[in-house]
Amino acid sequence: MNNKFSKAVIKRLISSLITLFLLISLLFILIRISPGNPTQKFISPELSPEIAKKVAEDFNLNDPLPEQYVSFVTNLIRGDLGISYNYRMPVIFVVWEFLSFTLVIAAISFLVQIIASYYLAVYSVQKQNKTTDRLISNLSLIFYSTPSFVIGVILIYLFAVQIDLFPTSGFVSLDYDSLNFFEKILDKIHHLILPLITLSITGIALFYRYLRDNLEDIYQQTFIMQLRANGLNENTILRKHVIPNAIGPLISVAGIELGILLSGTLITEVIFSLPGMGRLTIDSILTRDYPLIIGCTFAAGLLMILTNFFADLLKLKIDKRLLRGNVI
Amino acid sequence: MQNNKLDRELIPIFYIVGRMSFSKLFFIAVLSSAVLFIQCEKKTPAESNQVVIGISADVQTFNPLFAFSVDEGSITELLYLGLFDFRWDEENGDLKSYPMLAEHWEWAKDSSSIKIFLRDDVYWTDGEQLTTDDVILSFDLFSDPEVNSRLYGTFRNMYTDESNHIDIKKSFKEISKFALTVYFPDNSKPKLNEMSIPILPTHIYGKIKRDELNTSETNFNPVSNGPFKFLRWNRNQNITLTANTKSFLYKPENISELIFKIIPDYTSRTMQINKGEIDLMELVKTEDISDIEKNQSFNFVSVVGREYDYIGWNNIDLESLSKKNKIEPHKLFGNKNVRIALSHAINSQEILEEYLLNYGEIAVTPVSKIFKKYYNPDIKLYDYNIDKAKKIFAAEGWRDTNNNGTLDKDNTEFRFTLYFPSGNPLRNYASTIIKNNLASVGIEMKIVNLEMGSFIDNLYEKEMDAWMAAWYIPIPVELKPYWYSDLEMTPLNFVSYQNKQIDTIIDELEQKISDERKKELYFKFQEIIHDDQPVTFLYWIPNITVYNKRIKNIHITPLGSITHCWEWKISD
Repeated sequence: MNNKFSKAVIKRLISSLITLFLLISLLFILIRISPGNPTQKFISPELSPEIAKKVAEDFNLNDPLPEQYVSFVTNLIRGDLGISYNYRMPVIFVVWEFLSFTLVIAAISFLVQIIASYYLAVYSVQKQNKTTDRLISNLSLIFYSTPSFVIGVILIYLFAVQIDLFPTSGFVSLDYDSLNFFEKILDKIHHLILPLITLSITGIALFYRYLRDNLEDIYQQTFIMQLRANGLNENTILRKHVIPNAIGPLISVAGIELGILLSGTLITEVIFSLPGMGRLTIDSILTRDYPLIIGCTFAAGLLMILTNFFADLLKLKIDKRLLRGNVI
Repeated sequence: MQNNKLDRELIPIFYIVGRMSFSKLFFIAVLSSAVLFIQCEKKTPAESNQVVIGISADVQTFNPLFAFSVDEGSITELLYLGLFDFRWDEENGDLKSYPMLAEHWEWAKDSSSIKIFLRDDVYWTDGEQLTTDDVILSFDLFSDPEVNSRLYGTFRNMYTDESNHIDIKKSFKEISKFALTVYFPDNSKPKLNEMSIPILPTHIYGKIKRDELNTSETNFNPVSNGPFKFLRWNRNQNITLTANTKSFLYKPENISELIFKIIPDYTSRTMQINKGEIDLMELVKTEDISDIEKNQSFNFVSVVGREYDYIGWNNIDLESLSKKNKIEPHKLFGNKNVRIALSHAINSQEILEEYLLNYGEIAVTPVSKIFKKYYNPDIKLYDYNIDKAKKIFAAEGWRDTNNNGTLDKDNTEFRFTLYFPSGNPLRNYASTIIKNNLASVGIEMKIVNLEMGSFIDNLYEKEMDAWMAAWYIPIPVELKPYWYSDLEMTPLNFVSYQNKQIDTIIDELEQKISDERKKELYFKFQEIIHDDQPVTFLYWIPNITVYNKRIKNIHITPLGSITHCWEWKISD
């Protein structure tokens, strides 16, 4: 069993690396053949036309595409993603600076989503067809169908403008550097509460609906009736038999959701002025910062593959039957 | 009775709290106290001598060599001073020069050289004194092709080699530690504003390889000479500059800290200014002005005359250019009378009134009213007049011969596509009005939104027949890049407008001529452009700045909102 498991993991890793390589190769070609180029920002009546030509030369943009690609792959193998045209820093450093923030906020939001949706779904299914169940279900539908920018703006208006309980935007206060360690942590929490709610509320609604429907389906299975007939109490049935069976499909969805969160949450980042991967990626695309576009895609692709990979592993851990089908 | 009511209201709360576990209660208590604690602790800008400015995007550098964006330019100007100071002369509508790092200067009678005497009380933020070496190195760096600075290729009035690098030996002669002479080649037309580049420290920049300056650590950790010095930068959050107490411009009664807060979302910026979290923001939308006016804490200033929207009509035939490499008039827009008829058919006044709420101004030529000396007030707008437009079209042979509602001539129907960059609600609105206007004279116009990068590519490739875009005009007025006939030399002449008379005027404007002659030439230029209508000028877009009234001694001019902000004071 272990041997089969290891082989499956290695096979999956290799296929993931090939997917990632193909993804960034395709992107490399697409961004170069699509309209626009990085020297556009050097064109202005106030600047000499010479600059754009010089910059194009320095960025090797005048070289033939195959030559540029070979140089890109050679550098990639050495672990060098190049220098960002905008930031004038190695792409890896730029991506890491933004990714570290995204990792933190995505991880917290993901945990909030999982924990809140889990408790809500379990509570809801226990109160099946009662007013609270219907209320939570309807609310989840409303939150799921409300775009996050609407939620964000409403939250800012209510809690930042009207009640003045939270800051309207940013990650830290202007006087952050003068705060002590404890105050700095509180300051960050204070700034992150509204973005986290905005970021998590749709996910909570999504996970809640998945989990609640799964729990209800499992409850309707005949083996649950048998367990009840055998005298097991409802709590044991729920914890030991219903939840483990209902959680499998949710893990796949959670894997994808975490991947999306980690690749950046553009709207929340823009509304709350947060320095995340979403803004970095969009800015790099708009300014045609080719190395940075590749860097952002590489990071997002890698995280998406990793989260899905770990989601599959988790599914396997919960349900050993899946190994027979060689799912990973 | 009242107590009973209160008890009844509190019962559900006690019930909920009573059912909570200790850990949940503890968590809620910690969270609430954290929020309350921070609420009590936080300071608003109003409590301090600092000013917070909301900007939409972060900067990428603090090095003036590479300050390509507007915000980078504004911030680095506060860190690195130039030789001369320029202020907007409202009376004449022109720049006026004042001493800055140069205490005084003397031009040679024939303008072939200038003697510059530096202040001897200027120090870099690391304590080193500013000398002529710094001035010379700065010119060297800005013009060095290895550096790729934002001013590369612009030193046309100095001695340069074939790579546009300034010839230092020929151009500069050091008289003393604080005085130098700059020499100019024969037939050059040196201007003071071209000489006022930001001065960089030799003891820092002299040690860095030229081709490594672009990625150097100095870009983020500036040693500067200006009225402000760099304090901190939280990337994509805020930039803090603090008053440089060693600067000769420092006055303790003026603002002590300037914070640029990065807020990409416009709505968030307006919320923050209303809440007092920021003190100043630019580019306020006209529809928000009425709300701002209600708030007694703010002033707003609208500067009109730096940016105009226009419709570019491609003057030449694209097919002939690409296939035969020959310049022939465009089938639809090659005739100036047709272009005049188009201008008559477009109701730009309606767009100005309905969308810009009259905060802008109608544009009739590329020279705006702010340039009082050069603006020709006799030139009037081609008024919105459908009948006049129809008559001109008919006179030029454009008639609806097949009664399909669209004008035609020689089997060519008058239909075209108007392109414009996406993400601009004003242009979305304007394009719909223009489409309807032109439909009423029998012209079928399709509207296409393009992503900015694609749009700019199409402009350079001359792949569009008609488009709507804006020009941000430089100060002092520059005409050559947009209107000179040599299409190789002026890639920004997107409409491919060619007129020998205009070329002669532009060439003469570059010579040393009297102010009176200059005025005559600018007036003539505007007359010809108006007569030729290479583009349809729409309106001057207002740049509306809102600022908190607690900021005093603030002068918002066409040069910008934060120029000379070291002179701002905070009222009690």
